[in-house]
Amino acid sequence: MTGSSPEYRPGAYREAAAHSLRETPMVRDSVGSATRTFDSLRAHAYADVESDRWRDWARDVKGHALTHLDQYLEQAERSLVRNGVHVHWAATAEDVHRVIAKVVETHGVRTVVKSKSMLSEELDVNAHLESLGVRPVETDLGEYIIQLLDEPPSHIVGPAIHRSLDDCRVLFHERLGTPLDSEPDELAAAARAALREDFLSADLGISGGNFLAADTGTVALIENEGNIRLTTSVPRVHVALVGIEKVVPRFEDLAGLLQLTARAATGQPIGLFVSLIQGPRTGDEVDGPEEVHVVLVDNGRTTLFEDDVAWEALRCVRCGACLNICPVYRQTGGHAYGWTYSGPIGAIISPGLLGLDRALPLPHASSLCGACTDVCPVRIPIPELLIHWRERTVDEGRNSTAERLGMKAYAGLAERPGAFSAAASALRWTPWRAAGRALPVLSGWVQERDAPSPSPRSFRDLWREGIE
Amino acid sequence: MNTRDQILTAIRAARERRTPVEHPGRFGGWRPVEPPPPLEGFEAMFTQAGGEVVHVSGTVERDDWLRTFLAEFQHLSMGAGVPPGIADLGPTRINPGDEHAADVGVSMARGAIAETGSLMMDARDGRRAQLLPPVLVVLVDRSTVHATVADAFESARGDLSAAIGLHSGPSKSADIGQVMVKGVHGPGRVIAVLA
Repeated sequence: MTGSSPEYRPGAYREAAAHSLRETPMVRDSVGSATRTFDSLRAHAYADVESDRWRDWARDVKGHALTHLDQYLEQAERSLVRNGVHVHWAATAEDVHRVIAKVVETHGVRTVVKSKSMLSEELDVNAHLESLGVRPVETDLGEYIIQLLDEPPSHIVGPAIHRSLDDCRVLFHERLGTPLDSEPDELAAAARAALREDFLSADLGISGGNFLAADTGTVALIENEGNIRLTTSVPRVHVALVGIEKVVPRFEDLAGLLQLTARAATGQPIGLFVSLIQGPRTGDEVDGPEEVHVVLVDNGRTTLFEDDVAWEALRCVRCGACLNICPVYRQTGGHAYGWTYSGPIGAIISPGLLGLDRALPLPHASSLCGACTDVCPVRIPIPELLIHWRERTVDEGRNSTAERLGMKAYAGLAERPGAFSAAASALRWTPWRAAGRALPVLSGWVQERDAPSPSPRSFRDLWREGIE
Repeated sequence: MNTRDQILTAIRAARERRTPVEHPGRFGGWRPVEPPPPLEGFEAMFTQAGGEVVHVSGTVERDDWLRTFLAEFQHLSMGAGVPPGIADLGPTRINPGDEHAADVGVSMARGAIAETGSLMMDARDGRRAQLLPPVLVVLVDRSTVHATVADAFESARGDLSAAIGLHSGPSKSADIGQVMVKGVHGPGRVIAVLA
């Protein structure tokens, strides 16, 4: 393994994970520390309420919305239009880019302030804005850090959790001129001052949307810094990018969903700032954007919805709880997964959104321990969906030739008791570490692990003699 | 077929194979122990998140408190719903649109929520005044403190402005090395004055 970074794509997961563990072990320390803190806070926050009941309720609200998705999307569209919002439907990232390009052209936009949005990452909005000659400014502190580093986010909620305080001190020293021994609050103050200028001068604010209430046309957003409120309040135009799966039936449903999402994500009773946006400023309001656009984005979601098993992943509220508890994610953080969505949820939605071919081997990036399902606020059966994508991999002949041949050989032996017994006997006397190094699949296993010597007598022999 | 119809058609085709899930009804905020009365609950939750609470008996006591508190500041931004007389209590009032130049702001909440310790901020009061000053005083009529978020939303749904913000404490972030800092973008100090 060389020191050069593997490509940033799901297909390079194994190489990227190995690279991360060997070349940047401090990432595992930072990610492990942050995720254990997040998970501990979640556990306490769940314990304060009847969390099983909350989670059943949220599962059913999202399940109801999805099983009536077309009706609620149409209702949401009507409500938004009634509120004076420009509604756009986008099947692909290119459709979203066209909407943004039109807004940029119409309003002569030069600078865009953005709030953290995984959908924006998924759609590669920043690169698109730069291609239009527009300067995108990420305003969430974590997103700001990784934008300065030119890195993708490594966690849904904490995009810069892979970076230590010392990393940030060096970065801010180089980019903002702060002393190398600055305390975190001094670094935050420097970022605040730099970003405040951008908030006041930007022509356009781009946000995501945690939920969209169909009956009132309310885009709901959760945060802790106040940057989303500023992004959606100060510039004269606001564009909200909202995945079609984010629609929920009623304004009152937000009461439970906002609280449960915060408890699952960071262990808070609610985000310190929640924005409930109905539309552009009205006649009796002193400020706020004059124009609001909501882009309803598909970009693979209908393909995921068409899958009779994997569609349940669309209930996801992007809290990151499954990442925080995942023993596999904790080793590497999100970059190894090679796309916007990492961890267990990334492993089950990426095959639907990107196509299984591009997402492999992410469904294998799991020990199937099930801890993710135990914490999921909307009870997505993540291990079942991981197995589903693995089954589809086999059914569609996308697994490796070595695996296919190996399983075929095993099936041949398993159907022939005599041959099975002879093979088992032979294996007991095989120098398996040496042999393993020469074989595909096994070589990866024995590289890092040892095992006790096999019993000199087989289970069948012991059984015949009577096991004590 | 346009993009909208393509998306809806694909959803309908798949939805025919889905067993409809019933809506579970109103969110009950179920808890193992009975919550405290709304005023107590609000104060406990808001202060737990780093907010401050001041109780005053009426407008005279409120103005006395404001006069003392505002004395240390230079430039005041005021929400549109704040009683105009407060402009005469100390700092120079800055003009609407210049809220970024204020070192303190006074806004009027449309209500508060005990369950989450949240102030309900209405766009009609002015969003910049609620967000740009580093220190924000929020006036709250104690009769508008709702027990739960669901109660507050049911009460608000018939009168929604362009934007409602729930502010549940000072702005915070742990994005720098997982160390919590206050006042990242929004106000770093928030004081709820309950009258």
